[in-house]
Amino acid sequence: MPLEVARPTTFKQYRTLLAKDLRQEFHTKEMLSSMGIYALLVLVVFGAALAQTANSFDILQMSGGLLWVLIVFTSLLGLNRSFSHEKENGCLEGILLVPLDRSVVFLAKASSNLLFLAAVELLTVPLFYFFFLTTTTPAESFWLIVLPLVVGTVGVSGIGTLLATITINTRGKDVMLAVLFIPLVYPLLYACVSATTAVIVGNESFLETYFQSLLLAGGYDVIMILLSWVLYDFVISA
Amino acid sequence: MASPEPAIAVKSLTKTFGNRRAVDNLSFELPHGAFLSIFGPNGAGKTSLLRILATLSRATSGTVLIRGIDVRKEPDKARDHIGLISHNSMLYPDLTAEENLLFAAQLYGVADPAQRVSGLLEAVELKHRRLDQVRTFSRGMTQRLSIARALIHDPAVVFLDEPYSGLDPHAVEIFDGLIAAIREDRTSIMVSHDLQKGFNMCSHALVLAKGGMVLFDKRESLDYQDFSQVYAKTVGMGVA
Repeated sequence: MPLEVARPTTFKQYRTLLAKDLRQEFHTKEMLSSMGIYALLVLVVFGAALAQTANSFDILQMSGGLLWVLIVFTSLLGLNRSFSHEKENGCLEGILLVPLDRSVVFLAKASSNLLFLAAVELLTVPLFYFFFLTTTTPAESFWLIVLPLVVGTVGVSGIGTLLATITINTRGKDVMLAVLFIPLVYPLLYACVSATTAVIVGNESFLETYFQSLLLAGGYDVIMILLSWVLYDFVISA
Repeated sequence: MASPEPAIAVKSLTKTFGNRRAVDNLSFELPHGAFLSIFGPNGAGKTSLLRILATLSRATSGTVLIRGIDVRKEPDKARDHIGLISHNSMLYPDLTAEENLLFAAQLYGVADPAQRVSGLLEAVELKHRRLDQVRTFSRGMTQRLSIARALIHDPAVVFLDEPYSGLDPHAVEIFDGLIAAIREDRTSIMVSHDLQKGFNMCSHALVLAKGGMVLFDKRESLDYQDFSQVYAKTVGMGVA
């Protein structure tokens, strides 16, 4: 009897690809542990670097920037690893042999990168608060940092996934990813640092800065993710 | 009744990398159920040809039809009929054997993935290791599982890229049996460096050198001694 095969919907294929990444992480815990430990070490380094400066600077003004340095560096580590499994044993070719819209591979990989980075942020943001903000008084609007964190993490994961795919076959891919990633993510980073700092400091006009920055970050996310979606077939086939 | 349309038709196929012609104006046809062995020295264009046929690479010019489907115009439709077994297993080492096969079955849209996976694991004699991570498998076991993965959607055309590479004699024996089963009702193309084995298995033989065709014929029209002399001469031509 011939085997019954019906091409699944794009959403089902997306779900299958995403579930595979999560299952793999469940077995290895590689992404979460390496990103988590790295983030903790960066926090320790920040602590050591700032310990000698005591009262000569305003930690509230700096904390937004420090937090995003932590997120960007940690995400680079995860992005570099996210495709190493696909490269091993030619697994990516196995996926490309399947009749599917190549953009689904982008969406699924970007989603898993987003989830891993968000999980690490869930751990590190409270620690960051504990290390750097308990000795001072952040504004009551502090909780609003959730939104720039979400918008920034979505953008970092989307842009980073495209670039990780581009650099997967290049020599010195780790450095290459960083060299391409930092300039491309800069506008997003700038807007997120601005929004994060605004709500931590809580000046009179902080809401205006906050929403303007979020608008810039959100707009950049939409443009870059749509661009990645459109370009992905070409990038992954090359 | 067998369809008169060839299972695979290659017409004036060329692939260039810069100034180098990896595949140079190749044309041949294979009927349904044929088993083609491709031979040639390193750099002859065997893997480049196989990658184009498997839709993993685009030809610079020329046409490939898989069961009448143009792989350039309708790659997804062609992929429904293609399975690839390579020296790369395409298996995730951290997933179990069952998870790897279920993943592939769900991506292809196999109607009853669990049953299909169970049947294939039994066929490749790995059912007892279904819950073990692929990382713990020997090379031979991994290669058997990669056969199951390639056949998960029951493709009509199977490409084998040096499938025997790295296997010990016992694994080769098991693998021979599996390949014999694959051939039934399928069209297969195998890239091989083992002249005797590839010749014995095939219904058609193709020898490539510098991307071009040196010889293409049915095995029944070929004498192994003459064939091996042609091959030795071809290897003497060196790489492209």
